[in-house]
Amino acid sequence: MFDIFFVQQLVNGLSVGFIYALMAIGFTLIFGVLNVVNFAHGEIYMIGAYAGWLSITIFAPPLFVVILIALAIGALAGFSLERIAFRPFRRFRDEASLKSKAMREATLLSSLAISIIVREVAEKIFGSNMQTIPQDYLLLTPIEIGPLSFASGQFLIFGLSIVMLGGLQWLLKRTRVGLAIRAVANNPMGATYVGINTERTIIATFVIGSTLGATAGLVVGLYQGAIFPAMGFAPGIKAFVAMVMGGLSSIGGAVVCALILGVAEAVTTSFFAQGWGDLVAYVFLIITLIFFPTGLFGGGRERV
Amino acid sequence: MTTTPLLEIRNATRRFGGLLAVDDFSGVVQRGERVGLIGPNGAGKTTLFNLITCFTPLSSGSVRFDDSDISSLKSFEVARLGMARTFQNLRVMPNLSVFDNVSIGALGAFGHSPVAALLHRRGYAEDISRRTWEVLERAGLQDVAGELAANLSYGKRKYLEIARALALSPRLLILDEPAAGLNDTETAQLGQFVRQLSDEGLSLLLVEHDMNFVMNLCERVMVMASGRKIADGTPQEISRDPIVLEAYLGSDIENEGEAA
Amino acid sequence: MRRKLSILVILIAVLVVLPGILVAVGGGYWFRVATTIGVFIILTMSANLITGTTGLMSIGHAGFYGIGAYTAALLATNLHWPFYLTLPAAGVVTAFFGILLALPTMRLIGIYFAVATLGLGEIIHLTLLNWVGFTRGPMGISAIPGIALDGLFSASDIVNYYAVALAVVVAAFALGRLTHSYYGNALRAVREDDQCAASMGLNVVRLKIQSFAFACFFAGVAGALWAHTTGYISPADFRFSESILILAMMVVGGLGSLPGAIVGAVILLGLPEVLRPIGDYRMIVVGAVMFLSILFLPRGVLGETSVLAVMRRQFGLAWDNVKHLGWRQ
Repeated sequence: MFDIFFVQQLVNGLSVGFIYALMAIGFTLIFGVLNVVNFAHGEIYMIGAYAGWLSITIFAPPLFVVILIALAIGALAGFSLERIAFRPFRRFRDEASLKSKAMREATLLSSLAISIIVREVAEKIFGSNMQTIPQDYLLLTPIEIGPLSFASGQFLIFGLSIVMLGGLQWLLKRTRVGLAIRAVANNPMGATYVGINTERTIIATFVIGSTLGATAGLVVGLYQGAIFPAMGFAPGIKAFVAMVMGGLSSIGGAVVCALILGVAEAVTTSFFAQGWGDLVAYVFLIITLIFFPTGLFGGGRERV
Repeated sequence: MTTTPLLEIRNATRRFGGLLAVDDFSGVVQRGERVGLIGPNGAGKTTLFNLITCFTPLSSGSVRFDDSDISSLKSFEVARLGMARTFQNLRVMPNLSVFDNVSIGALGAFGHSPVAALLHRRGYAEDISRRTWEVLERAGLQDVAGELAANLSYGKRKYLEIARALALSPRLLILDEPAAGLNDTETAQLGQFVRQLSDEGLSLLLVEHDMNFVMNLCERVMVMASGRKIADGTPQEISRDPIVLEAYLGSDIENEGEAA
Repeated sequence: MRRKLSILVILIAVLVVLPGILVAVGGGYWFRVATTIGVFIILTMSANLITGTTGLMSIGHAGFYGIGAYTAALLATNLHWPFYLTLPAAGVVTAFFGILLALPTMRLIGIYFAVATLGLGEIIHLTLLNWVGFTRGPMGISAIPGIALDGLFSASDIVNYYAVALAVVVAAFALGRLTHSYYGNALRAVREDDQCAASMGLNVVRLKIQSFAFACFFAGVAGALWAHTTGYISPADFRFSESILILAMMVVGGLGSLPGAIVGAVILLGLPEVLRPIGDYRMIVVGAVMFLSILFLPRGVLGETSVLAVMRRQFGLAWDNVKHLGWRQ
């Protein structure tokens, strides 16, 4: 009996883990290319969820159209975010600025400011209450496989995550954009010298990362039925933890760590109260930082 | 008068993975001596400096400074013992004024305690101010003392780094490529400044690619290639040493020096 | 002379003029606003010691503020300690926790340290929230005794104001001495280039821990003041968003600048109050002011370098013989 329960928790944990993974990839891509932390990533997730909810309540399209809309809105949000919170700060290039704390972390602070504004504006428009997804779209149809019980949403999460992760790998390894992203992440100066348009690559990175983040938000909204302005904070932090654990620049590492995190949380929750489950991510974070300063999966760690 | 050397490096070895950056290096700096360290790029000179100043731990061997083993100390402890260094790529603090930059060295010498600041210990502050000001005048920086270090010219920054090191009142000054990036006049002036310091009893150890600078200034030169010491002697001996010439790709040492 | 005059003017402004204005505009509510601003001034000044001066980006300061508040609240409600004991006790306990929690994270640099403080802040918040037996969880602690002394004064808005104002003055004085001194130079050297600072004989780890301990001490005192002046605390007061608010205040005022911390706190808490008639846009204002100040005033309203120069000149903190360049302390 216990074993079944345990496996059930494992599956639940994995589905949460995939959500974290989708978000962690966005973080990792942006960190890899710009070497900055994008604190507004959680808001992209929230925007994805709201885009889905709005399209459903307004004209109730089929599910895959809802997904496409969320993708498009996510891409647009990522593009605007880069323009507003990141691009203006690339002008500080003199020596004193590069060595100055405030300048070096200007984009961290600006993305934080943007995230506050976006969240609060959403709260002003939609209210801070949870929005409910109409019953038809809620992916909670139980599916029994032997003694295990799944929700249809979990299948969507698994399926969509695997498709998107695969798509990302293809994009990064097989296309010109992917090549440019990897080049800029490796050496921005060198990439410029060989004629790569860095500005466009940075935008592409934001668009790709944000699309993944928005998808995660949408799927969670459909699966858990909970959409509210501050919904991006907790998964954002956890995805961030996954990125740090994975070694900052390793997409594979981030995905694996996100899954570990999801499962660890599910297991903790089943033994302790729900509230302590949230603690897991932070304890993992501190332990990783102390004992594996380069992340669990190596990855370069430079002095900033 | 003690006769033991001020700095003694015994069989210093440092591995980075499979790479032997410094391989069984031994050498000394006598009290008051000016020693140059030369070698082709990648010979391990800067790594050796990092080993001496305890920035990088030794893989094996030991370093003795003033008759005590410093191999296991931290870099700030070594600095307080009287070993000050400058960096190859200038590391002035651009957002602090020239005065404040130099005061960092004096802080190292006089110590830093929050209690002194909270209780307003005036004598301590006066000591630091006085030392900083002395060193600034010494290095000819008194007129730009209030400027941000970021606004200084490259040449002035070189002096700023040396001044900051001098504020520690070191017994051994370690200079990593002091003349790099300077023109001939500036190099000559710097050489004169450093020679004056040494005449006042400061021992010097410097890495430099400018052969004229080294050969004119130093009393003894050590040559490094691929992490090993291959020669050690007066500038005259070194410039005639066939092994050294070989290490510099068999070419004429002066030309190679200019090129490097 | 000039220095004594400047300090006198500031003291009169804080202790006489400002309360006078507050009474004139209707007392009560405005005193509470001023008290809140005072608590956040202490928080921002203390966080500024870590983030601005020592250069360790801290985004978990609200956690330490929470430890201080809960320490004071629990001591006052369970053990009936008076406020003059709970305030220092909260400071010491918070400094202790600060050192304990920060010790393993001290060798982290840059963004890693920021993330670690975020984690620590959230761990503290979640512990306060979930350890119901000790902290009463989300219910919070109510009926915390106010700031009162038998026979002398009883708890009131004005007493709260004076207690907080006095604490602000003391904290500004202590933190001012720490930053406007050669000790402050040592901390700034750690921020600019820790390796280089070490090669100049500075004990970088010790400096980091000391600055963290001092900052946590004052964060704890601020928490205790908050607990005593409001009479009710809950974990919701010490969330990540409060840490961000503190960070925004530092950024707006100018990282590393002590007067900047005060100005930042006044702007970010005062502006929403002024704009209240339009509607409650507090956090939007915070975000917008923060964003615009990074964009247009990247060094903050009162940038560090200019403030340090003014301090040396105006307040005579410089050693006389060296033309306003060195420190007197």
